[in-house]
Amino acid sequence: MQPAADKIGNTPGRPTSFIPATPTPQNPSPFISSGPVVGFHASGTSQPHSPFIPTSPIVGSGTSSVYGAPSLSSGSMAVPDSSRMPPPIRFSGMANNPSLGNTKQDTSTFLPPQAPRFPSTAHSVPPLISTTQAGQPIMPPPVPFRPPQIVPPLTATPQTVSPVMPPPMPIHPPGQMSSMPMSQPSQPPLQSSLPATRAPPQPPLQGEYGVLPGGSVPQSPVNMRFSAPSSVSQLPSQAYPATHIPGVQSHFPIYQGSLATQPPSMGSVGFTSREQMQYPSVAPPLGSSLQGLVEEFQSISLASTPGSLDPGLDARSLPRPLDNYYEEPISIREKYPLNCHPRYLRLTTHAIPSSQSLLARWHLPLGIVVHPLAELSEEVVPIVNFGSAGIVRCRRCRTYINPYVTFTDAGRKWRCNVCALINDVPGEYFCALDANGRRCDLEQRPELTKGSIEFVAPTEYMVRPPMPPLYFFLIDVSVSSVRNGLLEAVAQTIKSCLDDLLGFPRTQIGFLTFDSTLHFYNLKASLLQPQMMVVSDLEDIFLPLPDDLLVNLSDSRHVVDALLDSLPSMFQDNANLESAFGPALKASFQVMSQLGGKLLVFQSTLPSVGVGRLRLRGDDLRVYGTDKEHNLRIPEDPFYKQMAAEFTKNQIAVDIFSLSEKYSDIATLGTLAKYTGGQVYYYPSFKAEVFQEKLRHELTRDLTRETAWEAVMRIRCSKGVRFTTYHGHFMLRSADLLALPAVDSDKAFAMQLSLEETLLTTQVVYFQVALLYTSSSGERRIRAHTTAVPVVPDLAEMYRQADNGAIISLLSRLAIENSLSNKLDDARQIIQLKIVKSLKEYRNLYAVQHRLSGRLIFPESLKLLPLYALCLCKSAALRGGFADASLDERCAAGYSMMILPIRRLLKLLYPTLTRADGLFTKANDAEESLKLLPLTAGSLDSRGLFSFDDGFSIVIWIGQMLPTDTIYKMFGVDLLMFPDISKVPFCDQDNEVTRKIKKLLQASRNEDPSYYQLIHLVRQGEQPRESILLLSRLVEDQVAGASNYSDWILQIHRQSQGP
Amino acid sequence: MAWELLLWLLAFVGVIALVALDAYQLICLSDLESDFINPYDSSSRINAVVIPEFIVQGSLCSLFLLTWQLIPFIIMAPITYYHVQLFRKRKHLMDVTEIFRQIDEQKKSRMVKLAFYFTMFILVIYRLVVCAVTFIIDEDDSPLVSGVY
Repeated sequence: MQPAADKIGNTPGRPTSFIPATPTPQNPSPFISSGPVVGFHASGTSQPHSPFIPTSPIVGSGTSSVYGAPSLSSGSMAVPDSSRMPPPIRFSGMANNPSLGNTKQDTSTFLPPQAPRFPSTAHSVPPLISTTQAGQPIMPPPVPFRPPQIVPPLTATPQTVSPVMPPPMPIHPPGQMSSMPMSQPSQPPLQSSLPATRAPPQPPLQGEYGVLPGGSVPQSPVNMRFSAPSSVSQLPSQAYPATHIPGVQSHFPIYQGSLATQPPSMGSVGFTSREQMQYPSVAPPLGSSLQGLVEEFQSISLASTPGSLDPGLDARSLPRPLDNYYEEPISIREKYPLNCHPRYLRLTTHAIPSSQSLLARWHLPLGIVVHPLAELSEEVVPIVNFGSAGIVRCRRCRTYINPYVTFTDAGRKWRCNVCALINDVPGEYFCALDANGRRCDLEQRPELTKGSIEFVAPTEYMVRPPMPPLYFFLIDVSVSSVRNGLLEAVAQTIKSCLDDLLGFPRTQIGFLTFDSTLHFYNLKASLLQPQMMVVSDLEDIFLPLPDDLLVNLSDSRHVVDALLDSLPSMFQDNANLESAFGPALKASFQVMSQLGGKLLVFQSTLPSVGVGRLRLRGDDLRVYGTDKEHNLRIPEDPFYKQMAAEFTKNQIAVDIFSLSEKYSDIATLGTLAKYTGGQVYYYPSFKAEVFQEKLRHELTRDLTRETAWEAVMRIRCSKGVRFTTYHGHFMLRSADLLALPAVDSDKAFAMQLSLEETLLTTQVVYFQVALLYTSSSGERRIRAHTTAVPVVPDLAEMYRQADNGAIISLLSRLAIENSLSNKLDDARQIIQLKIVKSLKEYRNLYAVQHRLSGRLIFPESLKLLPLYALCLCKSAALRGGFADASLDERCAAGYSMMILPIRRLLKLLYPTLTRADGLFTKANDAEESLKLLPLTAGSLDSRGLFSFDDGFSIVIWIGQMLPTDTIYKMFGVDLLMFPDISKVPFCDQDNEVTRKIKKLLQASRNEDPSYYQLIHLVRQGEQPRESILLLSRLVEDQVAGASNYSDWILQIHRQSQGP
Repeated sequence: MAWELLLWLLAFVGVIALVALDAYQLICLSDLESDFINPYDSSSRINAVVIPEFIVQGSLCSLFLLTWQLIPFIIMAPITYYHVQLFRKRKHLMDVTEIFRQIDEQKKSRMVKLAFYFTMFILVIYRLVVCAVTFIIDEDDSPLVSGVY
């Protein structure tokens, strides 16, 4: 009802604004007032240069280029008083000449950039040019059937507003012809916004002008301005034919015809195609629209009888991410070349809904996934130093200068793109503008040409001198840690990384070990050997030394080396079973609180002494499925939350390495990482001989990756949009400020948006992520990513621009947070419900008209959404119940999914399965053999060797009938001789086969350096390892009580079909 | 009669304290919302007064029960129940890490409590005045009575 109401509410506005201007009484009906024009055009085709003709191309040339004759008739039908037609023609003919002279100066401002750039689609151009002088492409409102509403942005430019007011009045009274010259001066401005389109007036087009719902032409700009918001509010155009003038309906068939004739490749500007593609969505079913449908959405054919046993669904034809699974919406950059790379910032749909009612129909989350420090090989973020000028920012909203700001007043002022405030350009930053209104030094200013930029921050951005990179190691040395080899592996790895630690020569380092007592180490540079000091008073923690517990690495290097060498032997006879983890945390806090930095915790025993004691939990089967289930997944002791808050306050980030053989309460320990921007590494049933490589690699990565210290991040957006919730590992310091003691390239953040106003009046919404941080070199920097997003008035466009990866990322974070306060089952239900609702809504857009029963329809952009949602429900964090994943595994998976960048998350959810034996049997077509396979048991072949890679581990599945000589070459032993396959030396031999396999593994490890995939060997039929490691991860099969892929699709189809 | 006056005087002081404590917490929350103080300060200030509020509220409630003042007791009982529940779930203190997510909910609950406290305030004032007046009249009366008769 709403759209219709809007429409009606809007139309009467036109006449009312006319009437005061007209001297003679006019017919107040809105249609009449617009009528003459329609009629005028219909009959006035012989006047190629009448002032009105040029106007129409703006509105209609693109959409109506094939209208032709039928439109003429429709136009004349729409004219209520055709007797008035002749005078207007004459009038306009006369008005033509003077107007040209007057328009000259007006038009000159827009004309030049325009014609060369978009010659063919002139109709779409004016809005772009007139609203953004810098010439950035901005989405025009995609409202195909509402030329009157498309117009507003065109003519709403300030120059044209006031003078255009009166034009209608001379048109209507025929008797006033003689007074024409007097009213002419008022006429030109109307044209002034239009001549732009005069460049391509093709004679054949003129006939169709009559078709334009003529109201657009005589409308005064005031109306136009009023209708601008209304265009935004217009919801689905289904309501449109019902409320609109009758002429419109006659467009449809014609347009359908034109759709069929025009090739889909028209979309080079990204606009024509959008308009075209919208037609099928709104057009009533007219038979010939099938081609349009094919472009519009995809569908899966299902048996029309819901619930039948034979689904009639071809499982092989279901969409799968088997090629280019980490596709990024790069195409957006073609339309918005000034946006930052989508790796840094992705929206769940690159289109902001224009109204809250539209948002309510978008059942998926609306938000952003930000990956501020993403590593991007193809693009280097340029660094800008403004020096003494200071960083140029908006006075009001504090937005950093970015490519979307516009310079005015000969370069002395700039208009903030986010809040539209006019700011002064600082003297040092001034530069003259060229004829196009661009700065002459644009090429030398990366901040004005690149969406991602890094500013060097002056001292105003520091509350204290930039901190040095600081690493503090808190290592568990209780008996289990010594026995499983943790201590030795950790000490060795740290030692090997000492040369590569960030920030040489300022790096600070310190150590603390603990069992039931705390051991401090004096690492003073003047000492030869480190001094150990034992503190056993756990109630009242004190530091045995005021300083020298944290030392400069380059000064004390020999002492640190000596300590790391002796650590394993010092504790090898330790028989202490206890872990005073809480007091050790407090002690570390006291050591680090002055500087902040990174605290790396290596823990292998459940904390048992002192504050922060934890008890065993999670082994109670009965809790699952009850209301208390979620309590297992939230921290047991508030101590850890308080510590996390204190840590963040003092700029300390905590990384947890949990290397326990038993339950270690990741749920509780993980909170330390969660609120300090840290990360949880979980090594279930840690054994040094198995995990050493993985631990070494990941610890090395943690210590040597580029890290941003003492960072804060804020994301600013245009008025009307607001960020409501934030998801990831950080702490909110104020309502919109994310405190990140340390952040690096492996962490992404997600946030949800809401609309503050019921209607958005802007055409484009801008987002700017700003991360203020201290680099390891001790420089304060600000990294800003800016992106522009169009505001769209219809749902179809939102679906078209939807980003599957970002949606899944946000959905997974929401689901994991949900699992902290609800049952797992509820969390899964909510995912499913969201998918179903959104597909239902989408179905309502199309299927009702097209009778697509028996088909599940979905937008091309979201074709993988149901699959990934299924994967999400089957992910370690959310799947099944008690038996399907251990509590620690669940929580650890949850913590890592909260920070994973989109690409890695997608890989974790839908791992890659490849057949590897082709590598060495058929030497030539190696490419072929590495094709990705669907994740179902049917893809496995007992004669083959398969590799399953989820980014965290690689499972090598060995078929039973794999030739023994291949196996022998791979392992150098006969597998049957080995009772425990996990201990088989893998690829120790050096021959052709192992080299190829190693190359393959190396390739998949190099793909993403942030984690190291541990290799698990599994032989076919080897239970229970096969099912734990591989079969339960084949997400398309029926596992963990969840349905398989085709059942899932059926289920979703059935639910989305309902009323 | 004196004990009743004393009771209402006590209740008056207690209710004023409750209103003040609750309003203080609300102010802390709204200050946090408008970014005047940081979440650490805000939550520590709020947490400092949570337990005192609970104690005052609990003792007032039990006082009404003991003195069998049913109407004020009925007004106070739901809050007491709410407080006990919060305390048992250990959710009575502000969680500084999640404060921004809870802020709306927390404000709402405190507003409701404030409404209860205001109702109490009006009631207590009324009863206090009634008590005081009757007490004074009684005081005045007795010498008069003794004097006349």
